[in-house]
Amino acid sequence: MNLLTVRHLTTEFRSDAQWLEAVSDVSFDLRRGEILGLVGESGCGKSTIAYSVMRLLARNARIRAGEVWLEDVNLTEADEDTLQDLRGSRLSMIFQDPMTALDSLFTVGHQVIETLQEHLNLNTAEAKERALGLLRQVGIPAAEERLNAYPYQFSGGMSQRIALAIAISCHPQVLIADEPTTALDVTIQAQILHLIRRLLVEEQGTGVLLITHDLGIVAQVCDRVAVMYAGKIVETGDVSSIFSNPLHPYTKALLNSLPSQGIARGQLENIQGRVPSLADRPPGCHFHPRCPHAKAICRDKAPPLQRVSDQQEVACVLYD
Amino acid sequence: MSSTTNGSKPLLSACGLSKYFPLESGLLASLRGAEAAAVKAVESVSLDVYAGQTLAIVGESGSGKSTLGRLLLRLLQPTAGEVLFNGDNIFAMNRAQLRAFRRQAQIILQDPYASLNPRMRVGQIIREPLDIFREGNMAEREKRVYELLDRVGLASSHARAYPAELSGGQRQRVGIAAALALSPQLIIADEPTSSLDVSVQAQTLNLLSELQRDFNLTYVFITHDLGVVQHFSDRVAVMYLGKIVEEAPTATLFRAPQHPYTQVLFSAIPRPDPSRRVNWELPQGEPPSPLSPPTGCHFHPRCPQAMTACSTVVPRLQAAAPERRVACLLYADAGN
Repeated sequence: MNLLTVRHLTTEFRSDAQWLEAVSDVSFDLRRGEILGLVGESGCGKSTIAYSVMRLLARNARIRAGEVWLEDVNLTEADEDTLQDLRGSRLSMIFQDPMTALDSLFTVGHQVIETLQEHLNLNTAEAKERALGLLRQVGIPAAEERLNAYPYQFSGGMSQRIALAIAISCHPQVLIADEPTTALDVTIQAQILHLIRRLLVEEQGTGVLLITHDLGIVAQVCDRVAVMYAGKIVETGDVSSIFSNPLHPYTKALLNSLPSQGIARGQLENIQGRVPSLADRPPGCHFHPRCPHAKAICRDKAPPLQRVSDQQEVACVLYD
Repeated sequence: MSSTTNGSKPLLSACGLSKYFPLESGLLASLRGAEAAAVKAVESVSLDVYAGQTLAIVGESGSGKSTLGRLLLRLLQPTAGEVLFNGDNIFAMNRAQLRAFRRQAQIILQDPYASLNPRMRVGQIIREPLDIFREGNMAEREKRVYELLDRVGLASSHARAYPAELSGGQRQRVGIAAALALSPQLIIADEPTSSLDVSVQAQTLNLLSELQRDFNLTYVFITHDLGVVQHFSDRVAVMYLGKIVEEAPTATLFRAPQHPYTQVLFSAIPRPDPSRRVNWELPQGEPPSPLSPPTGCHFHPRCPQAMTACSTVVPRLQAAAPERRVACLLYADAGN
C-alpha cells in the first residue's frame, strides 16, 4: 500500500533572474512499514524533495510540476490550514540538527505536550502522561525530571531523541528523516536508527523516507533505496539488489569509491570530474560527462526510469 | 611496546602525554584555592609512529583525539609528558630547533572551508609557508607553487582563484599542497576527508596515498571513519575519554578487536553490506561527560562484560600479544 506517491516532481530555485531546477521529474512511492533510503551526494536535490513533500520550501523555491499524494490527499494542492493539520500528525519530519526542531526557550516537556494537544484531544494531565511515556520510549533516562529541562541541557544524541519523540507523538503515517544521525557519533547513530525501525516501522507500520549520504546506513536499515544524481533518480530497487547488482554507472561508481572492509590497500576507484552545479547541469543524461560508458545519444536524450526486473528500475540507455 | 615494528626507531613518540583543561581559571579560582576542576582531555598517552607509516587515531567526539593531534605538533602545551621527534623532546626545543621542527611537521585540517583564508588567493596560501621560511627567491617560490598545484591535481589557473571559487575537494587539495610546501617528514591529518562526499573522499585518499609513497611521508590520521582507517592505516590506536584503550596493527585489530569498547564501536559502524546486518541493540548508553568520567575503567558503565573490579581498578595499557596493547582487565594477565 502506498502511503506517499510522488509523480513527476519538479522543484526549482530562483537565482537572479532565472529559475534553476534542483529536482527534475522525480517519481517514487513510499509503502506502509518500509524504510526507503534516498541517497546521493551533496547538492543532488535529496533534501529539496523532503521540503517539497512537507511543503516547507523556502520563499525562493517553488514546485513547478508534479504531484505528491499522502494517501488520498494531494499535498501539492493542499491549503496552508490542511498542511498545518497534517504536519506533526500524519506527516512528520526530523532534521540533521535536532536544535532546528526544538525551541530553546521552552522546556522539552512543554514542546512534546504542545504537539500532543495541538493534534489530539487531550487535557494537560493526559498529555503529560503521554509525553512521559514517549520520552521513556525513546530512551531518555530519568524522564520525569527531564520533562522540565531545556534543550541546551541535552547532548546532541539526547536532543535527537526528543525530536524523535515529538515527531512520533501522534503516530505519523509518514516520517521524513533528513540525515537524522549525521551529526551524531556512531554508537548513538546506531541507537537512533534502531529506535526508528523498532518504534515506528515495526510497531506502527510507519513509512520512513530516510535521506542520507551514507551507503552503510542504507545497507543496514533500508528496505528499498533510490539513488539520486544531479536532481534525478537514476536507479531504484530493493537494498540487496542495488548492492549486489548495481546497474546505473553512477551507482556502480559510488559503491566502488567506498573505502571498505575486505578490500586491500591501494587505489580506490573514483569518478572523473565533479558534480555539476545547479546552473550548469549538462543536457541529456546529467551523468554523461563523467560516465565511462557514455554514447552520443546520452548527450541528447534524458533517459526515463525504466523497470528492468521485479526489483529494479534504472534510468540509463544501456538498459533500453 | 611496539619496538618490533620494522626494527627501527620511531620518528615520533609520545610518552605519558596528558592535557588537562582547567574549568575555572583566573584570579577568583586561584584565590579560592580549591583544587582546580579540569577536563582530562588526554591522559597518559604513549604511542610510537614509524617513518613512512600511517598511524590512525580513532574515537568518538570528546575522546581527545584532536587534542592529542595538536599536542603531537606542540600546538598545545601538555600538562605532563613528552613528545620525541627524531629523539628530541619537542617541548624542550629552543627557538631554532622549534623552527626546524615546524618545517618537518605539518597539519591538514578537517574543514577546508574554515581553514583557508578567504581573502588570500590559492597561490598565496600555498606560498605562505615558503615565505615564512624564506625558501629561495620569489621566482623559485612561484615555481614551487605551480609544482605543488600540479602535484595535488589542480590546474595552474587555480593559483589566482579564491577559496570560495573552489569545491570542497579542491579546497582540501589546496590544504594538502600548503602542508607539502616545505617537504615535511610528518603530516598530522585531522579528519581530512570527513566533510567530503564519498567520490571526492576517494580522490583525496588516493592522492594522500600517492604522496606518502613518493615522499616517504609519515601520517597520523585522526578520524572516526573506520572504512578510511582500514583502507589507509598500518596501525590503529582507539581512544575513549582521553585514553588509548587498544592499539594494534590495522589488520589484526579488524580481524579481532579485543577491548569491549573497540568491539562496540566496530559493531556500530554501518557496513555497506546488506547481507550482513547487525543488531544495533548492542551499544548501550551515551559516552559519559569528560567533566566527571566514571571511576576505574572509564568504559565500565557501558561495558557488556564489566566485572566488579572494573569500577575501581584503572586498567593499564599493556601488551596482550606481540604488537598489540589493550587496557582491559579481561586481558590483564595475557601479556605478563
